[in-house]
Amino acid sequence: MTEPAIEIRDLWHWYLRGTPLESVALRGASFTLAAGEVVGVMGHTGSGKSTLVQHFNALLRPHRGSVRVFGQDLADRNFDPRPLRRRVGLLFQFPEQQLFDPTVADDIAFGPRKHGCDRAEVRRRVTRAMELVGLPFEIFKDRYTFGLSGGELRKVALAGVLALEPEILVLDEPTAGLDPRARRELLAALRGLHDRDGTALVFVSHNMDEVAELVDRVDVLANGTTVLSGPVREVFREQARLQELGLGVPTATEVAAAVRERGIALRGDVLTVNDAVEAMWTSSNSAAV
Amino acid sequence: MDEFEFSRSVTVGQYIPGDSVVHRMDPRAKIIAFMIIIAGVITTPSYIGNAIAFGFVLGLIVLSRLPISYLAGGIRPVVPIIVVFTVFNFLFLGNYDPTGSAVLWRQPLAIGPYEFAFTVTDNSMRQTAQGVFRIFDLILLSSLLTLTTPITLLSKAVESLLAPFRRFRVPGHEIAMILAIAYRFMPTVAEELERLMKAQASRGADFGRPGRLRFVQRTRQLIPVTVPLFVAAFRRAEDLILAMEARCYVGGAGRSAVHLGRLAGRDWSGLAAAVVFTGALWRVPFPL
Repeated sequence: MTEPAIEIRDLWHWYLRGTPLESVALRGASFTLAAGEVVGVMGHTGSGKSTLVQHFNALLRPHRGSVRVFGQDLADRNFDPRPLRRRVGLLFQFPEQQLFDPTVADDIAFGPRKHGCDRAEVRRRVTRAMELVGLPFEIFKDRYTFGLSGGELRKVALAGVLALEPEILVLDEPTAGLDPRARRELLAALRGLHDRDGTALVFVSHNMDEVAELVDRVDVLANGTTVLSGPVREVFREQARLQELGLGVPTATEVAAAVRERGIALRGDVLTVNDAVEAMWTSSNSAAV
Repeated sequence: MDEFEFSRSVTVGQYIPGDSVVHRMDPRAKIIAFMIIIAGVITTPSYIGNAIAFGFVLGLIVLSRLPISYLAGGIRPVVPIIVVFTVFNFLFLGNYDPTGSAVLWRQPLAIGPYEFAFTVTDNSMRQTAQGVFRIFDLILLSSLLTLTTPITLLSKAVESLLAPFRRFRVPGHEIAMILAIAYRFMPTVAEELERLMKAQASRGADFGRPGRLRFVQRTRQLIPVTVPLFVAAFRRAEDLILAMEARCYVGGAGRSAVHLGRLAGRDWSGLAAAVVFTGALWRVPFPL
């Protein structure tokens, strides 16, 4: 068995440690990610999700516990985080607020230029990143950044991280505040990225339907610790536990549970609408049969 | 030390609850007492006087029961400025010394057609030392004031202190409001800066140290942060205007608000202590 790409054990983190405003964000969280995997991180507001993912590319260093990314120990003070930040791309919440260059292509090119790529390589990466997120290069490259719509801005920000061609892409609530259509397009772009390039995705979200649709495995955080972890189907079986933590389950799961209460025997692992339809057809006593 | 934790350095504009004497003092009396102390601190000319003033400020911090290490964190960001300023003062201030005090060291220099000199006089050395003490004192005192007073009370106090000037058309309420907003958003901007630097570092920006004195590189490195920071500041200002309009804010006229009450014995003794300290600093002729 090869070493996982990210391995976090018993991680603790305090904000403003040693000041009167100190607050603890993580109390012994753990996390693992294999190369090419798609994992969701769920949790209530303040559960430590964002703090956890900021350890993945060494924006934060462990205060206690161990963080190993690509076999390197981030607790080592001499470790240079910059090469790592190219391999692990992190897209923050509301990333459209971080754009600064007046034209779209220049903003996306920021990362590759900093990387030291030559002109042709920068152009190749920018073109590719823009096509991946669904912004045709020729149409959008010279557009004025601050004149784009919210959904387009979000895509530009995502392209800015993709242009680094990371092996692991971490997204903190990437669909927050987007309309349903922009949301679908963004998720499709992510799915495509994973399927084509084998990029590992870490998806931080509140939205259970999106988690169910996109990821293979879920970690649930509460109060700074990992409370549930496992394949999506297993985690979403724990409906009562999730609701207790202030989280829900996918809409389809919820509906299936309600149907089951009415005395129709449905399987316990319904996550998406397709699952639900299949479960209805295969149920022993459903009205649909 | 965490690479991006800027909130740690923003001690102005935060409030740390407590029940020390300094916390409990009436905000109006506190502002006046601090102004009196600042007057004393920034006018004392001697080495000993400055040392005593600095000691007094430290004493106030101890009295407030705030951790000194936290307040010292607020000084760290200005240290590079103080260093540059001190070096220049030390080397050049003597050239412009009008008091004619004793010249301790003089070194004429010529670079090409330019001629200048390093001069250190007795008086310029004193002024250099004073500069450092005064900046420390001022930062510590102003942090101490805001750390021990909630912003609503502080702005209320400013408003009530400015009330007598209303007949001269001084808009006391508006000034207090502007102060309150400015203070309130300082920690917010620090958080925003932190978030932006992290976001840009995640897409390849390098905020490493290009050498303390390479200002141009430093500034260029910061463009990806400063542009969105300003955009966000304007957006926030617009949101704030909308929120205030939606609540029918019309300024000070006819607004009811927190009543500050009468000054208590504690407040008068605080004021008296400030007056005695400043008076003593002025009256005592220190030998050095």
